[in-house]
Amino acid sequence: MLQVKKINKVYQGKVPYRALTDIDLDVEKGEFVSIMGPSGSGKTTLLNLIATIDEPTSGDIFIDGENPHLLSRNKLAKFRRQQLGFVFQDFNLLNTLTVEENIVLPLTLDGKRVKDMKEKADMIAKKLGISHIMEKRTYEISGGQAQRVAIARATIHHPKLLLADEPTGNLDSKSSRDVMDMLTHINKQEHTTMLLVTHDAQAASYSDRVIFIRDGRLYSEIHRGDSQKAFFQKIIDTLSLLGGNDNDFSSVRPS
Amino acid sequence: MTFRQFALHNVFRNSRLYVAYFLSSMFAVMVFFTFANFAFHPAFQEGDMPSSAMKGMLVAGGIIYVFSFFFVLYSMSAFLQSRKREFGLLMLLGMSSRQVKRMTFIENMIIGIFATTFGIGFGLIFSKVILLIAENVLVIDETLNFYFPTKAILLSLVSFIILFLVISFFVTFVLRTKKLVQLIKSDKQSKGEPKASIFLAILAAILLSVGYGVALYVEGVQVVFALLPVVIVVTIGTYFFFTQLSVFVIRRLKKNKHIFWKKTNMLLFSDLSFRMKDNARTFFMVAIISTVAFSAIGTLFGFQAYLTKGIIEANPYSIIYNSMEDEDVKAKVNDVNKILTEENVKANQEVIESKYYEIGVDYPVLIVTASEYNRLAKLINEDSVDPKENQAIVVEDHHANINNFKNDEKLMETKIPLKDGKEIQAYSTISSAVINEMQAYYIINDNDYKYLPEPVKQSTVAAWVILDATDEKLIEVGEKVSESFIEYNNAFSIDYMVYQIERAYGPILFIGLFIGTVFFVSAGSFLYFRLYSDLDNDQEKFKAITKLGLTNDELKKVISRQTAILFFAPIIVALIHGAVALTALKHFFDYNIVYESVIVLSVFAFIQVVYFFIVRHFYTKQIQKAL
Ligand SMILES: Nc1ncnc2c1ncn2[C@@H]1O[C@H](COP(=O)(O)OP(=O)(O)OP(=O)(O)O)[C@@H](O)[C@H]1O
Ligand SMILES: [Mg+2]
Repeated sequence: MLQVKKINKVYQGKVPYRALTDIDLDVEKGEFVSIMGPSGSGKTTLLNLIATIDEPTSGDIFIDGENPHLLSRNKLAKFRRQQLGFVFQDFNLLNTLTVEENIVLPLTLDGKRVKDMKEKADMIAKKLGISHIMEKRTYEISGGQAQRVAIARATIHHPKLLLADEPTGNLDSKSSRDVMDMLTHINKQEHTTMLLVTHDAQAASYSDRVIFIRDGRLYSEIHRGDSQKAFFQKIIDTLSLLGGNDNDFSSVRPS
Repeated sequence: MTFRQFALHNVFRNSRLYVAYFLSSMFAVMVFFTFANFAFHPAFQEGDMPSSAMKGMLVAGGIIYVFSFFFVLYSMSAFLQSRKREFGLLMLLGMSSRQVKRMTFIENMIIGIFATTFGIGFGLIFSKVILLIAENVLVIDETLNFYFPTKAILLSLVSFIILFLVISFFVTFVLRTKKLVQLIKSDKQSKGEPKASIFLAILAAILLSVGYGVALYVEGVQVVFALLPVVIVVTIGTYFFFTQLSVFVIRRLKKNKHIFWKKTNMLLFSDLSFRMKDNARTFFMVAIISTVAFSAIGTLFGFQAYLTKGIIEANPYSIIYNSMEDEDVKAKVNDVNKILTEENVKANQEVIESKYYEIGVDYPVLIVTASEYNRLAKLINEDSVDPKENQAIVVEDHHANINNFKNDEKLMETKIPLKDGKEIQAYSTISSAVINEMQAYYIINDNDYKYLPEPVKQSTVAAWVILDATDEKLIEVGEKVSESFIEYNNAFSIDYMVYQIERAYGPILFIGLFIGTVFFVSAGSFLYFRLYSDLDNDQEKFKAITKLGLTNDELKKVISRQTAILFFAPIIVALIHGAVALTALKHFFDYNIVYESVIVLSVFAFIQVVYFFIVRHFYTKQIQKAL
């Protein structure tokens, strides 16, 4: 479903900054993958490249065998709003629109029928528990609510690939579990492939596989066994290895 | 970092905002200075300018100053508006509101001083250009050479320093006790809708229709009395029209999901509703300012056309001479011919006797024979007439005859008694410029002529039509003729007369054009600032949507429509207002200025279209740059 081949990203600036080095990644259809790593390690950068929001300096990305970076700008935009769904770290909600309008925005751009849009929006809002704030404006809702609105917007059009950047960052553990249940549900029901960036080991333990990034390089990768609890423990262990600033750890080979 | 350093950094980091404010202030100064420079020009001060023109200049200067004041005030409030969030954050970090006020006051004064200096500097260059144009386009005798305008510089400097000082105090007003959270969230929160009510909507409709109705109904001198009330009524009507209409339209659109949720409509209209209050005010202001510009320029052109074309139509001959009593007609006619020979121009000439008779109407009526009339008619290629015996043709009153007596109707009813006992009866009416006679007159058959009674008044009319000569030549001849007939002023050249009118009228036309243009350009600037004060928000918004997937075409479409609404909604209203105003003017002059009006209005409409394309281009570029 998703192939990332030898991706490098260098941010050009006064001092060019190498954010990603030789990243390789394969994700199967319907797979749920988490990406973890210290702050500034390049997670958002990687997600942006896959999301076609940014261009890699070198390397290729294939989604369903197609390289979206080769599409024309207009086709790329359509591809993005029809095939991909995002939850951004900074929500990216439009403050001139109400919650409901924000949610249906990707559908309106594609000229869907109003009745369908309304139905879908109501359904998804119910699932996420945001039905009562549909008429509110974005400055009238809490951070956690905004996050759920962003998730609703990212999933309303049943994307093939859902990319989420810390979707539980602002939530308490109960809401966080609700959101993760919701994502797992979408993943299982609609076979949506998912890529999730998170700092939260609890959230990561919902996925099939966790990839660790450090200083822009793949650090290690662990798979989920049968038990979520054991998986959670494994994630915690890896994180403690990863988390230190001590450079000695960088010699540890990926498992 | 000291406070001063901080304030300085602030200016540089926010340079785009500051530049916009600075440029608009500079623009205001430049316009005022250019005008002052022109008004104080020695050629106008010492030359034989009519005093009415001087008064006009004074009033115009005042208008420009008042206008500059509001213009700068508006730019400043737009400028502060876009910085509210910044102020909120600063105050959150512990800056006292006194410090914020001091900071903005200092900023404002610095910008003001620089704007004044640079405005005057650019004004000097601009004046040179304007003076050059004025010299070439207008008929102004004195050459408008460049001079060092000490007075104008001093006046502008003092006026604008005062203006900026006053405006800097307004800052305190704009920033008055707002809750911190309101300041910080100001970029997310809509400024709300204007008040909407059925009552106000109906009021708008009534005001506009009453204003229009009166403007179109009144005629002649009434126009002058109706002017002020109509202007007030229409202005208020326009204000409510925009505030009510915007609320009404947007609400309807938002209610109808089939429209609102269709493609990019949501993006377009949500923005319009978000900025509804600002937009409605901008629409109103731009509509009114543009109307003023259209009407001012239309009026001046119309008036000039009325003066010159009217005279040209009434006087088809190059030179015309009307003898006075006991004048040596032959010698006088010879004088003219001598001038013509001296100037080396060829001309066709005819002389007729015009005799006036008492026939029972309240004025002595001119009666000419068909053959004399036809001789003159032939001179200017007009149709000849052929009244039968005992029948007469009535020539209508001259259309410039303000008294509206309808003498031609009276003449139609009157019979002319002849000495042989018969009577002449008029049987038809024509309108003709062959004889320059204000009141209606008769043309009769040559055979009836000898039976007419004794005339009460009699004079000789000589007319010349000069054959192919340049305009300069015609004017030169005209000048000589009027000098030679200075005693009674009873011979004149139409070309010289028009030239003199244009000369007297030139400066007035210039002022009018200048003010009109300034107003129109300012209207454009208002729109520009309106658009650019939202640039940051728009950039952020479009950045967010492109991430979700907005094609370039869709982006362009939204920006295009957004800009189009902003640019054309007020202008269309202004064009309608202008058309009504010019129609009223037509009734005042009783002279058809449709041609001039259409030209003026379409030129403005065209400029606006060009302006729209330019602004749209750059705005789209700006947005795309941020993506
Ligand atoms: N536009 C940019 N220009 C230059 N450098 C950038 C840019 N964006 C990110 N970086 C740098 O690239 C590195 C990776 O950034 P990225 O946003 O991918 O981190 P992240 O892993 O998502 O961190 P976090 O967990 O804090 O969100 C950081 O060191 C950051 O400073
Ligand atoms: Mg990140």
